[in-house]
Amino acid sequence: MGRAGRRWSLLVAAGTALAVLVAGFGGPGPAGAQQPVTLNLYINGDTNIFDLWQKGFIPAFTKRYPKYRVNFVGLLHGNGSDGVYDKILAAKRAGRTTDVDLWETEPGFVTQGIPEGLWVKLSAKLVPNITKVPTEPLEAADYYGLPYRGSSVVIGYNSQFVKTPPKTFDDVVAWIKANPGKFTYCDPNTCGSGQAFVTAAIYRYVSPAKYAGKGYDAKEEAAWEPGWKLLRDLQPAMYNNGFHPNGNVAVLQLLAQQNIWMASVWSDMGLDFYKRGQLPKSMRFTQITPPLIGDDSRVTLPAGAAHLEGVLTLLNWLLTPEAQMMVIDMVSGYPGIDWKYMPASVRERFKDVAKGFSPYPNPKYLADVKRLWHEKVVAGQ
Amino acid sequence: MTGSRREGALGLALVLPPLLLLVFLIVLPAITAVLDTLAPPPGASGLTLARYAQVLSARIVRADIAFSVVVTLVSVAAVFCLSYPLALYLRFAEGRLPAVLAVLFTIPLFVPVVIASFAMITFLVNHGLISTVLYHLGIQRFPPLVYNATGIVLTEVWASIPFAVLILGAGLQAIDDALIDSARDVGAGRLRTFVSILLPLNATPTMIALTLLFISIFGSFTIPYLVGGNAPQMLGVTMTNYLTQYFRRAEAVTMAVIAFAISAAVGAVYVVSVSRRERGTV
Amino acid sequence: MSVGWYWAVGGLRRAVALGAFLALAAFILGPLLTLLLWAFAGSWLFPNLLPEFSLKWWAYVLGNADVTKAIRMSFLSAPAATLLSAVICIPAAYAFARLEFPGRRVLLLSFLSANAFPKIGLYVSIATLLYRLNLMDTFAGVVLIQVINTLLFMIWIPTGTFRGINRNLEEAARDVGAGPLRTFFQVTLPIALPGLLVALLFAFLAAFDEAQGTLIVGTPNHITMPVMMYTLVLSYPQPVGAVFSVLLSLPSLVFLLVAQRYLRAGYLAAGYSL
Repeated sequence: MGRAGRRWSLLVAAGTALAVLVAGFGGPGPAGAQQPVTLNLYINGDTNIFDLWQKGFIPAFTKRYPKYRVNFVGLLHGNGSDGVYDKILAAKRAGRTTDVDLWETEPGFVTQGIPEGLWVKLSAKLVPNITKVPTEPLEAADYYGLPYRGSSVVIGYNSQFVKTPPKTFDDVVAWIKANPGKFTYCDPNTCGSGQAFVTAAIYRYVSPAKYAGKGYDAKEEAAWEPGWKLLRDLQPAMYNNGFHPNGNVAVLQLLAQQNIWMASVWSDMGLDFYKRGQLPKSMRFTQITPPLIGDDSRVTLPAGAAHLEGVLTLLNWLLTPEAQMMVIDMVSGYPGIDWKYMPASVRERFKDVAKGFSPYPNPKYLADVKRLWHEKVVAGQ
Repeated sequence: MTGSRREGALGLALVLPPLLLLVFLIVLPAITAVLDTLAPPPGASGLTLARYAQVLSARIVRADIAFSVVVTLVSVAAVFCLSYPLALYLRFAEGRLPAVLAVLFTIPLFVPVVIASFAMITFLVNHGLISTVLYHLGIQRFPPLVYNATGIVLTEVWASIPFAVLILGAGLQAIDDALIDSARDVGAGRLRTFVSILLPLNATPTMIALTLLFISIFGSFTIPYLVGGNAPQMLGVTMTNYLTQYFRRAEAVTMAVIAFAISAAVGAVYVVSVSRRERGTV
Repeated sequence: MSVGWYWAVGGLRRAVALGAFLALAAFILGPLLTLLLWAFAGSWLFPNLLPEFSLKWWAYVLGNADVTKAIRMSFLSAPAATLLSAVICIPAAYAFARLEFPGRRVLLLSFLSANAFPKIGLYVSIATLLYRLNLMDTFAGVVLIQVINTLLFMIWIPTGTFRGINRNLEEAARDVGAGPLRTFFQVTLPIALPGLLVALLFAFLAAFDEAQGTLIVGTPNHITMPVMMYTLVLSYPQPVGAVFSVLLSLPSLVFLLVAQRYLRAGYLAAGYSL
């Protein structure tokens, strides 16, 4: 703890020094002379999340804080993430600041970087509004990331072919077996909606709580065996004799081409595609019970970020109702702050779906879910 | 004597700039990577092959290596079988059509692989262009052509044809017309001419084409990632998954070294065969 | 062309051959044609044979400032990388072809490693070095990382080209009193030019296609088209990827028409004989 504390004061000192530098060399004018500070945000996600930042957060934030400009780097998860991680790690090793001021990515990368000392540990001192965030998702990532929004996976189906939508996971399984070739989920290595279906199969036989917490013991994974067996048995009934495409979008495209009639999809993405006319008119979305997993998406602050002060301002602003309303309005997501801080009308509207998702396994278990899925389900046995 | 020493110094001086780039940006990082994979567990000393044993002990990794080699060999063979007749045609046929075809077959060279893969998917996928056309002709059953090994091979072939045609064609171009004519004069037929004149004289470019095709297809990531299936996968994809999805960096780098070793072995075969040939002709 | 007889076969076999080539042509062009259709599709749902035409996705892509910025960056960095590569590699290639020095063969061969070692395991080391040199997120850094991809082409092809030039020509020039530099620029270079152009072409394509390294070195301010491409192709509606693909391929295809003349002349192969 002492070490972390020291790093802390260093960081704060560096941040202050930087602010002074910026202010001091900002130009000849009076103390307030505005040399704009450009924040570099690296956002890994799908297009709806890009839009949320580019058309929602960023214009509103820069209007509110004209001192800042924002440089948005939108990257696809997977391929972009390892590059960004390498970049941050290399900056640390070279003892330099990094151009990555804020990074939204999968929890696995965050976990991987904690022992390397890559991230800023958040606290109320740095981000006053953090007190409005429920502690559970904060603790899940050890305060190394700010959960600012949530979303969940649902079942999408083409009502032209699916007359009675499934209500439980077993209903989905039964439907798949009855309609071979008309369902698939994406490769869980490439997308959350696939991870949702796979974990649903695992959670069918075990308690989610055991794997969502912080502990990790590879021996506990033996209990997943029935889940793997279930998925393996479903393989012949999957699209194209057991094919799982890469990425959430690929599944939506299969639905669009009517190659499949049902799939697990992110609720927000599915609705977005539907609104743009990229899915058949008869597409519908439903949540099953127990619900599929959902995710609190986090933004993480690299310890070597060059514009610490500005990013902390942004983080604090992200937790205001103004920003949180955009999450709800633009991507049909769930707010990151506690519902009680949201306007009453919104609370009423969302009272049924609030926290309507099962928890993700923690990053270590999730990495193993992906690897074991590949070994035990698609590579046969 | 001093003259040759000066020449040697000048030669090294001219070679130095690109060499330095190579050493600092590829060779040294690669050596670091190899040493990392050989590093013993904390506390112990010396070098160990334990990581290689561990990686290779996974049945699925072995399957992926085998799959990569097979897909690469099949792709190289298919490219070769399509490119050689084309190169012959472009070398010997006359008229406007060959000129048009020559341009046509170079097109894939200019299309980035991400786009090539994407284009291939839209073209070949079930309910893609071909299958939609067949559907309207009353054919409903359509074999899966993408998201499997077939898809990888088709796309690799598509992307590699121009390179192979160019190298093979260039080699054929270099063969003296007089030699070919004299073959006919002594009564050799087309096949005979091909087997006893064209093939051997074009052997070096052929070896070059095969080797470089192997190295580039074996090392590819984009095509198998986008067009391939879930399992087995090509090594480039497996490596990336270990790095970015399973967070097992040490294993990923170990696989990279194994992949390099396989490519290097193929490269070595090429070097040996080319130098033997050169020594033979001198 | 006195050897036209080799291919001049009878009607039927000729027709079969022609058919085979046309099939191959369809295989080559088909995917690109589909892409072109998709680029002009408002939406295209099965089982419609043709999409419902629309230019809305073009407006979507071209109206995106990030995309136009990336296009500009690509067309600045790839030529710069190609030129830098030419400046440092062509003298080296000349040395490989003409001068005798220790380790010549091994060094020539070592350039193969730039293409044969999977770079995924190297990026942390490369980025650490570039951070120390203050080259991260700079134009120079992006150019450097792209040059790495060009080395093999820019060394091997010119080496072969220079080797193919008759030494007597150079010696004759030297005999009439021309210095080595003058001989190189006035005699060797003009003869080697077509081969060097082919090398430039391949180097350009290799630099232009570089994505992973550029992503690490160039973000956030020096993003090129290939860096955006994965994201655009994989996470946007299909027409967006298609529009972007068409945009990205067109300049290259123009390049193809220009370079076509030299491509067939054999310089490519000459480079790969050791």
